[in-house]
Amino acid sequence: MKIFSESHKTVFVVDHCPYMAESCRQHVEFDMLVKNRTQGIIPLAPISKSLWTCSVESSMEYCRIMYDIFPFKKLVNFIVSDSGAHVLNSWTQEDQNLQELMAALAAVGPPNPRADPECCSILHGLVAAVETLCKITEYQHEARTLLMENAERVGNRGRIICITNAKSDSHVRMLEDCVQETIHEHNKLAANSDHLMQIQKCELVLIHTYPVGEDSLVSDRSKKELSPVLTSEVHSVRAGRHLATKLNILVQQHFDLASTTITNIPMKEEQHANTSANYDVELLHHKDAHVDFLKSGDSHLGGGSREGPFKETITLKWCTPRTNNIVFSSISELHYCTGAYRISPVDVNSRPSSCLTNFLLNGRSVLLEQPRKSGSKVISHMLSSHGGEIFLHVLSSSRSILEDPPSISEGCGGRVTDYRITVVPLASVIVKESLTEEDVLNCQKTIYNLVDMERKNDPLPISTVGTRGKGPKRDEQYRIMWNELETLVRAHINNSEKHQRVLECLMACRSKPPEEEERKKRGRKREDKEDKSEKAVKDYEQEKSWQDSERLKGILERGKEDLAEAEIIKDSPDSPEPPNKKPLVEMDETPQVEKSKGPVSLLSLWSNRINTANSRKHQEFAGRLNSVNNRAELYQHLKEENGMETPENGKASRQ
Amino acid sequence: MPTVVVMDVSLSMTRPVSIEGSEEYQRKHLAAHGLTMLFEHMATNYKLEFTALVVFSSLWELMVPFTRDYNTLQEALSNMDDYDKTCLESALVGVCNIVQQEWGGAIPCQVVLVTDGCLGIGRGSLRHSLATQNQRSESNRFPLPFPFPSKLYIMCMANLEELQSTDSLECLERLIDLNNGEGQIFTIDGPLCLKNVQSMFGKLIDLAYTPFHAVLKCGHLTADVQVFPRPEPFVVDEEIDPIPKVINTDLEIVGFIDIADISSPPVLSRHLVLPIALNKEGDEVGTGITDDNEDENSANQIAGKIPNFCVLLHGSLKVEGMVAIVQLGPEWHGMLYSQADSKKKSNLMMSLFEPGPEPLPWLGKMAQLGPISDAKENPYGEDDNKSPFPLQPKNKRSYAQNVTVWIKPSGLQTDVQKILRNARKLPEKTQTFYKELNRLRKAALAFGFLDLLKGVADMLERECTLLPDTAHPDAAFQLSHAAQQLKLASTGTSEYAAYDQNITPLHTDFSGSSTERI
Repeated sequence: MKIFSESHKTVFVVDHCPYMAESCRQHVEFDMLVKNRTQGIIPLAPISKSLWTCSVESSMEYCRIMYDIFPFKKLVNFIVSDSGAHVLNSWTQEDQNLQELMAALAAVGPPNPRADPECCSILHGLVAAVETLCKITEYQHEARTLLMENAERVGNRGRIICITNAKSDSHVRMLEDCVQETIHEHNKLAANSDHLMQIQKCELVLIHTYPVGEDSLVSDRSKKELSPVLTSEVHSVRAGRHLATKLNILVQQHFDLASTTITNIPMKEEQHANTSANYDVELLHHKDAHVDFLKSGDSHLGGGSREGPFKETITLKWCTPRTNNIVFSSISELHYCTGAYRISPVDVNSRPSSCLTNFLLNGRSVLLEQPRKSGSKVISHMLSSHGGEIFLHVLSSSRSILEDPPSISEGCGGRVTDYRITVVPLASVIVKESLTEEDVLNCQKTIYNLVDMERKNDPLPISTVGTRGKGPKRDEQYRIMWNELETLVRAHINNSEKHQRVLECLMACRSKPPEEEERKKRGRKREDKEDKSEKAVKDYEQEKSWQDSERLKGILERGKEDLAEAEIIKDSPDSPEPPNKKPLVEMDETPQVEKSKGPVSLLSLWSNRINTANSRKHQEFAGRLNSVNNRAELYQHLKEENGMETPENGKASRQ
Repeated sequence: MPTVVVMDVSLSMTRPVSIEGSEEYQRKHLAAHGLTMLFEHMATNYKLEFTALVVFSSLWELMVPFTRDYNTLQEALSNMDDYDKTCLESALVGVCNIVQQEWGGAIPCQVVLVTDGCLGIGRGSLRHSLATQNQRSESNRFPLPFPFPSKLYIMCMANLEELQSTDSLECLERLIDLNNGEGQIFTIDGPLCLKNVQSMFGKLIDLAYTPFHAVLKCGHLTADVQVFPRPEPFVVDEEIDPIPKVINTDLEIVGFIDIADISSPPVLSRHLVLPIALNKEGDEVGTGITDDNEDENSANQIAGKIPNFCVLLHGSLKVEGMVAIVQLGPEWHGMLYSQADSKKKSNLMMSLFEPGPEPLPWLGKMAQLGPISDAKENPYGEDDNKSPFPLQPKNKRSYAQNVTVWIKPSGLQTDVQKILRNARKLPEKTQTFYKELNRLRKAALAFGFLDLLKGVADMLERECTLLPDTAHPDAAFQLSHAAQQLKLASTGTSEYAAYDQNITPLHTDFSGSSTERI
């Protein structure tokens, strides 16, 4: 694939001489009589387009299709020629759109039939076209700058599409000679210039157009090499729709386009809203979207050629998306897509076309099916819009070479059940450098939720991906969870006072070691022995915890009140002992903090201790001290508990 | 990518190879020996490769259809009979059919042709095929280049000198040329013996069948992985950037994005990302694919119990409905995601985007993507109810901007009728009437179609005369005003025919009259 092929630069040279004002002699009825109108009105006489109008609208259609499918890197320069050349735009990307061209054409207006034909010539335009092909585009400039000493790799090729009314074959010869000579001259100029590029290859497409019903004075000629730089072809085409058809064929050839007809599109009838009929819409796109058909020679898919022998279209069937599933099917599914190509409807304003494009622009996707005689349904393409652009996606429909892959649960790490994939909000919030009041509240809420879940003995939402058999027991899961949560929060405790508050809350809520729990339970049982069975105790506990959690929620909703959350917890009979009664192991070796000057509260004294302990921990993570090659063995205790021999740190060993 | 082994079983393959002081070998034995080595290598290091075995002489036969069962392939090697003369073209046609039937035309395949360099005689010989290559019709075109992306590896059971003594080497080189240069010829270095055959197949294995190992990285988390199939080098533009791009062996995750935002992107290829466990020596223990080997089994079991980042990543992406964007090289990205093969099995998969700064137009430049926290306000909204993607293009496409196309008469008629319909509902439809009128006016001016303006002006004047008595008086005013303005524009004089100028409704005030009007 070459970026700077002939299609990078297209110059349109359209004849604006007086004879182009002649009628194409193809009538258009524009005053269509509508039903229920007063009888006896004679419709207005049909009008006909001039050769100029036919040329301009056909070339605009060429540009429309090109811009739809290649909005970038394929550029058009539009020139009209009469007594001089009028260059309507430049190679810059900003100038590359239909609106700019239409405005410029309106400013030029139709040719003046009373102008002196002797002064007017298409030659002015052709000379300007060669000149403009030597001008560097922003893409060429960018590539040259990027390639530095290899700048000569950037090619300069282009195509001149000239629409004129020639007098004879020898007139055509004269035009070709003129282009060839001009290229020769300008290449000499460009050789000595930094901002011009020599033309390496130029494709001249001469289109002779004449009114319908007249005999052509010019004969068709297929592409011929006039010099190593210049090739030329001549098309002799009647004006009107014939010219438009020709340019449509040319745009497909020039930009390697292909046609797909979407068939069986259900559409509400305009007149009878409750019935629907099936419609076809033809789309153009790069031919690579048909790569599977082209190579496998599946020619039976090629539908009938409705519009002449040149036209080949591949028919694909619309698969109505399941309505309740639209969002799902279009958004959350990741299709294996081997290509996506922008489309342009052939008949952009027809009702079926605009119904289809609007449907897609509203964000829905449509799968397309290959019509097969035999039963199996093969979805090969998908139409989908992305930000106001519609793409034809090619979906892989052949057998996958990756079929029946080993499941990830069977591979390395696949039997580890404990990946902590569910992310609690706290985890994402606590890592922030500073917390807002709301963040703190959120963290506390998360902690209370966990407390609540533990009381209800709810399972922790651990992913079951790769789980084999039962994971660790539930109370064990909670113990691991609390440990890990504490480690996480402690790691960020130095960030701010608010982080500190989250830790305080966590410490206050953390469940106690089992023996303590047991002791408490027994104590309570003793109290309630007289009239309560064990089951009743459980019920009571559950109810109690529910009440607690409800109460907590209420408190949280009143969150603005500046109450110390930890204290509220302590009010509850089930609440843990204040954290300072149960010093944690790692704090034993913590040295005393320096004495502060002012009076110090017990709380800040305590938090200072923890801070110091943690800052020491930060300097050297315990795991790292015991690591081999900077890899620490995780979850060692799990292995010990499973009675397995612990392999050497961080390494798997053969047994 | 699948492999087709095409084995020559013509009589010339039974020519004896003289090896001093040992039992007599034939060339086909050497070939079988080399293929055995290839199959053994694949069975251990390239398990997921599908391979088919075709034998040919004047006819061809598919001995083993595409399979991952290398024992079957191995067995077939030992059950080959000897046949008549070499006819390469028909065998290559056979390969085309087999591959297309199985994989279609888009999946790259490797064709390993094993022959002795005797290319047949008369009709059907390679010489004959090449000589007539340019005189083919579409129906019997020469099978090269293959109608699918391919590499053609020709393994010659002959040494260079032998091939050069005839025009065999030249013919084989033509084959590679015809396959657009995709492929290579291997010959035996030195005398024909098992050892030298081994070294020739060793070269093929190095070239085409070495597993691609990489390190997947995300911050401090890493995992050693095998990427299967091997990502092939990619040429962006043969002219300005002819050097094939090769993907990094360090695959760095640079970010995460919702599946809905990435939205079924087109990819060059997709690959399984299989975590591999390394033992102390750094040797591969296995990719965790079950194997009969007991040693490996227990090693796999241990590997299964050691946490692996790939599993964490896979699970996270699956739960969150996201993909990870991975850096493959300078200005080259791919995505990692969870791919479900069936309800039970799913896997970590990597797809490669086309190299370049902006592989997906709806995401914009990759370099401009960043963490949510970098944005002034959360682009996904506080309630995660919106998305910054897809990006809107600067210019709307023709189908999204109500362009005017009058190539078919129906296009023009529809536009005229729209004006007429609104004209009959004046003054209620004043705004739409003028909107449609101006749209038509603009297009007519651009196309230099001034007769149309005159025609529509006449039509509006006629409508004016046809207004019923009950019509609002404003209708007549607006119709004649519009008609007059169109007539002026149809003169083409710059004063009235300016493209950017619009015809505006006539200011009328009927508040004093009997009719109510807002």
